[in-house]
Amino acid sequence: MIRTFFAILPAERHRGMYLHLTLTLISVILRALGTVALVPLIGALFGPNPADAWPWLGLLAAATAAGWAIDAVISRIGMDLGFALLDSTQHAVTDRLSRIRLSWFTPANTATARQAIAATGPDLVGIVVYLLTPLLSGVLLPIAIAIALIPISGPLALAALIGVPILLAAFVGGARIGRRADRVAAETNSALTERVVEFARTQQALRASRRTETERSLVGTALSRQHGAAIRVLLLQIPGQVLFGLASQLALLVLAGTTAYLTVTGTVSVPEAIALIVVIIRYLEPFTSLAGLSAAIESTTGVLRNIRTVLDAPTVGAGSIVGAVTPTETSPARDRSQTQGSAASAPGITLAEVAFRYAPDSPEVVAGLDLEFAPGTTTAIVGPSGSGKSTILSLIAGLQEPSTGRVLVDGVDLADLDVTARHALAGVVFQHPYLFDGSLRDNVLTGHPDATEQRIDEVARLARLDELLDRIPGGWDAEVGEGGTALSGGERQRVSIARALLKPAPILLVDEATSALDTENEAAIVAALTADPTPRTRIVIAHRLGSIRTADRVIFLDDGRVVEDGTVDELLTAGGRFARFWHDQDAAAGWTLGRTSQTLGRTRQ
Amino acid sequence: MAKRGFNGAIMSAFGLRDHEAEVIEVERLAPKFIRVRMTSPTVFTDAELGPTAWLRFWFPDPADPDFEHQRGYTITEADPDAGTFAVDFVLHEPAGPASAWAESVSAGDRVEVASMGSTVFTVPDELPAGYLLIGDSASIPAINSILEAVPAEVPVEVYLEEHEATDRLIPLADHPRAAVRWVPRRGESSLAADIESRDWSDWRVWTAPESGSLKAIRARLKDDFGFPKSEITARAYWYEGRAFGKMRGEKKDDTPAEAAEQTPAAPKGSWRANAGGRLIAPLKATLWIAGILQAIVTLVELAPYVLLVELSRQLLTGAGSATLWATGIWAVVLMGSGVVLSAALLFWLHLVDARFERDLRRRLLTTMARLPLGWFVDRGSGRIKQLVQDDTLALHYLVTHAVSDAVQAVVAPVAVLVYLFIVDWRIALALLVPVLVYVVTMYIMLIQSGTKPKQALTWAEQMNVEAGSYLAGQPVIRVFGGAAASRFRSRLDEYVRFLTDWQRPFTTFKTVMDLVNRPATYLLIIAALGTWLTVSGSIDPIDLLPFLFLGTTFGARLLGIGYGLSGLSTGLLAARRIQNTLDEEELEVVHPHEKDTPASAREASPAPGLVEFDDVGFAYRVGVPVIDGVSLRLEPGTVTALVGPSGSGKSTLAALLARFHDVTEGAVRIGGRDLRTLPGDELYTRVGFVFQDIQLVHGTVAENIALAVPEASEDAIIAAARQAQIHDRILRLPDGYDTVIGAEAALSGGERQRLAIARAILADTPVLVLDEATAFADPESEHLVQQALGRLAVGRTVLVIAHRLHTITDVDRIVVLDHGRVAESGTHTDLIAADGRYRKLWDARETTPAPTSATAPRTQGAAR
Repeated sequence: MIRTFFAILPAERHRGMYLHLTLTLISVILRALGTVALVPLIGALFGPNPADAWPWLGLLAAATAAGWAIDAVISRIGMDLGFALLDSTQHAVTDRLSRIRLSWFTPANTATARQAIAATGPDLVGIVVYLLTPLLSGVLLPIAIAIALIPISGPLALAALIGVPILLAAFVGGARIGRRADRVAAETNSALTERVVEFARTQQALRASRRTETERSLVGTALSRQHGAAIRVLLLQIPGQVLFGLASQLALLVLAGTTAYLTVTGTVSVPEAIALIVVIIRYLEPFTSLAGLSAAIESTTGVLRNIRTVLDAPTVGAGSIVGAVTPTETSPARDRSQTQGSAASAPGITLAEVAFRYAPDSPEVVAGLDLEFAPGTTTAIVGPSGSGKSTILSLIAGLQEPSTGRVLVDGVDLADLDVTARHALAGVVFQHPYLFDGSLRDNVLTGHPDATEQRIDEVARLARLDELLDRIPGGWDAEVGEGGTALSGGERQRVSIARALLKPAPILLVDEATSALDTENEAAIVAALTADPTPRTRIVIAHRLGSIRTADRVIFLDDGRVVEDGTVDELLTAGGRFARFWHDQDAAAGWTLGRTSQTLGRTRQ
Repeated sequence: MAKRGFNGAIMSAFGLRDHEAEVIEVERLAPKFIRVRMTSPTVFTDAELGPTAWLRFWFPDPADPDFEHQRGYTITEADPDAGTFAVDFVLHEPAGPASAWAESVSAGDRVEVASMGSTVFTVPDELPAGYLLIGDSASIPAINSILEAVPAEVPVEVYLEEHEATDRLIPLADHPRAAVRWVPRRGESSLAADIESRDWSDWRVWTAPESGSLKAIRARLKDDFGFPKSEITARAYWYEGRAFGKMRGEKKDDTPAEAAEQTPAAPKGSWRANAGGRLIAPLKATLWIAGILQAIVTLVELAPYVLLVELSRQLLTGAGSATLWATGIWAVVLMGSGVVLSAALLFWLHLVDARFERDLRRRLLTTMARLPLGWFVDRGSGRIKQLVQDDTLALHYLVTHAVSDAVQAVVAPVAVLVYLFIVDWRIALALLVPVLVYVVTMYIMLIQSGTKPKQALTWAEQMNVEAGSYLAGQPVIRVFGGAAASRFRSRLDEYVRFLTDWQRPFTTFKTVMDLVNRPATYLLIIAALGTWLTVSGSIDPIDLLPFLFLGTTFGARLLGIGYGLSGLSTGLLAARRIQNTLDEEELEVVHPHEKDTPASAREASPAPGLVEFDDVGFAYRVGVPVIDGVSLRLEPGTVTALVGPSGSGKSTLAALLARFHDVTEGAVRIGGRDLRTLPGDELYTRVGFVFQDIQLVHGTVAENIALAVPEASEDAIIAAARQAQIHDRILRLPDGYDTVIGAEAALSGGERQRLAIARAILADTPVLVLDEATAFADPESEHLVQQALGRLAVGRTVLVIAHRLHTITDVDRIVVLDHGRVAESGTHTDLIAADGRYRKLWDARETTPAPTSATAPRTQGAAR
């Protein structure tokens, strides 16, 4: 936690942090001083001459006032640190997120990352003022008081000093036991919850299958099991909750007992003894406030852990080449837009011995892949779901890095390119097109912010966006809504086609939507693949015959391997997997429900 | 600057900002009702907008222009970007400051305006049964804004008190289900008395009448109708007979109404809002005992401090070691019993809770198994998860901790307060000073924050969404870069700036709050006062000890009360949601003789596959029919397709046949028997369904196929799988039919669908409800799913929800629905010839590309 804290604190703030720590130490010493000033003060009040207390009161007042002044400064510094922390962390996390490997974004990690940017703000602001400062003074003050007691009463000071680690241990131990109990409880609980949620989720199926009765008893068993576990958890929970209270009460008893003993044996005077009891209570006070902090410690640790997880996530490897992909071209990739039109700018793509897996321990999605995509050609990749089609696209787009092997564009390894140059190479139409909250124009322009009006109109026409622009109120300025939700799935797809077309990239990658039903989209995809004059090397993951027909070459992929490779006609003649797929698609398009059932129905009757 | 009296002093002390507004235009909407449009570029930086939101204006005193009065007025129009807004004034005799100002105001005049304490009316997610709005001419602007906000399907009853005949001329907003009643004022109780005596269960009230009327209304609502406090939003908008005649100022009046005599005539309703109490009713006694025990434990835990005072006294009086020992033993005993007692209490409560929770979950499950299936569709798994997981956990906290925490939070400071006041009231009183400073500082911060806390919540929610989209959009951001990413960054900067701008200025306040409330401050006060009182001889120094022992943490304890109580409300809210689920209407099985015998039942044993919709009506909310008077007869073994634009009711009608909901009118019969007379198990031997949402249970492939027929033979399962075109795929799974469906055996959408179809084939029901969309969810296996669907439909009575018209051109009958009614019905050819609605749909449909293929010419010609 401390490590993470210093890691996310900007370096120029470290000095402020040390100043803060020093001042906190001084504040603690002042408070301890004020506390022991009580001994002569109370001694005087209970003595024969109460007026002797005035100077001591003056000392107490001075210490308290000085403490206030210092603490005011401390909290100002703390707030400054908090705001600095907020600012730097949010940006550090955001920056990191844009460089983390995409394969890292599992649902769990994504949730953590989301927490780390969205839900940490207020916690970070308060981390110094509301957590660190009280935590530090809570630990240091009893020690300071114990030390200050040494000149007054050695034995009591010793007992107080011994008490510090014991009480802290009780505090930490109690919290730890509590945490473990909570974890066990959460585990048993979630097992049951899963069952219950499944019961609710599959209610249709269960009921249609007349299985609510059986399932109920199944959930019932889970219920009983959880009930038993809950009782066991309880035996863990209770010690955790009473441990610290017990320890501090015992400490009070022991220390007060010692004082009483010292009085009876005449080591300290009676007024002094009373004053010491007051000091003992002051000594125990910070521990109680520590206990009040445990919830905050818990949540802040969680926050820091989330931040840490993101900051430690593996990033995309990057080379140093800033541009220049095509050997014949020395200008940076970004300047390609200017050279558009020269047929030479469509690059060749090579996958050499490429294998990919999401995590070191997960199976390979593709393996030993050797593929060549000739400059300026259009290739359709076809195959069942899970065959690795999208992975190939991600590899070429530079979104994923091969675990072994190389992806080369015009002979240059993508891994040798810097991240910007790598991503400048390809325009991508994603299967689930993601749009950003903003206008249609903003979304299309993301691909090329300084595109000419003429070019924008052209891609809109190619992507069949003109029909939408005519119809939607506001036209280009219409808002697409969060994630594009104001548009239909098909409309989103067309916007994303326009976006990809507008981007002046020499490679176009299209992952055709599986569930897009409308013909406009199919036409838009076909146009994107054939009608755009920009010289490009194009690869499409195709599900529909329309887009497959546009391809110069078809690759049929299964289980991460190329099964068939050739032109449409060649593969149809070969009569293999692709031919079967083609025929099925063809039949599907002409399918009607009534006919099949009736013919078969009649034959059966 | 004009004098603004005490009110003005308070406002400025809280740092309330005044904004200058300039009048643009004055419009008379009714004889005594005018709208004043104003512009103020800055006011919307403070003001929160929404229904019933209002602003505070400073109007000059008509008699003494040096003095200004503050009055609140509802915003009736607002354009925050332009900084323009309008408020409406009722003019009356004699005129108050606002009325007088409004009467003479003209374009170009200026007035100062501030925003503070305005509340916005919001419609909750869970809609109430209706809204009861009570007010008069002064609250019409607010009532209008509510009428505009309430969804059209929610009924609204508006009661307006008529003070002058011209009141009725004030324009009211339209609401399709609003009923407005004007009640001439005969006295303070006339409006209240005229509210209809009826069952107001689950209604909500918003009322802002004259103060006197409000009192009577409160009594009527609470005592006669039983409205819970949480369902009433009430405030007096003006006082009759106060200075300046009628002053219509926004005066909050939250004093609870006096208990009035009960009018037995009014039926008392029941409210969902009260449901939480009912759920934990069986625990009431337990919680009371727990509360009392916790109070004792709390006192026992304080006892050592009292004993320490006693010990000091004994030391002072030079008591012998025997007495000291006795005190010590007492201390040990008290501490020991405190620990034992609190542990025992905790243990007991957990025990009680574990049993309660188990029973509760069991009840929830039992209820869920009997709820209409539509209930699950409407809610989605997120809400259900909240119910069974989060809400039961919140309830767990309520039972095991919240009550004891609350008791402890209250008892400890009260006990200390009483003890200290008894010992010495002067010092005790002085200790309240820091608490007061703390509370005032906190209040100032609260006032200065204005709408910021609400904005902060909105920000947090928004940032969560933005972060989600930033993460979801990572591939897009990386490929397209620049603009997409910088948008999120700038949002983030804005958020950070918002937090900074809001919290920064409070650094000093927060420091003051922290310093003033820390033990050192209390210690100084005690020591200073103590020294002074001791030196002056007016206190026995021994009496200082309780203060030195308990007084230093006094502030923290007292301020902890609010925190300690907060756990209760969270738990009660959860309890309410759970109880509301338990209260949901379950599907009942009615005895056959209770339903009219249908014509078909009189026929000699109707075919099991005959489906009749008999004048069926269905509505989610009373008065808003989704299905209206539909009569259909599906002959056994035929395929009927439901067609219509989205919202036409085709999915709902199909769902009625699967009894996802019960019809609200008419009847649905299968094989001559009303669905409602069939017990669930019997019903689903007659009707099956395959919808888009495929539900697989945790188990093997075989178990999933045989879900409805667990005793099915292996051959039967394989046969069904073959028919559903999934057999080959299953064989390729790691363990074939014994593969457990899960992460390692991930099936594609089309495969899952075919598995569900295999399940339906094996279940072999004579009637089947299908969603045609099932087929095109996964293009890879579209053809296979189609084949499977075709097999499944064979020999059954099929009702299919159709999305693509060309897939149903060959069905026996097409039924075109529009607004829940049958618009047309017939075969494709008939309907095309009829040139009606179907023809329009057919012509407008997005044509699929003609499958042109050199190698596989499409099999032409339907088998009809």
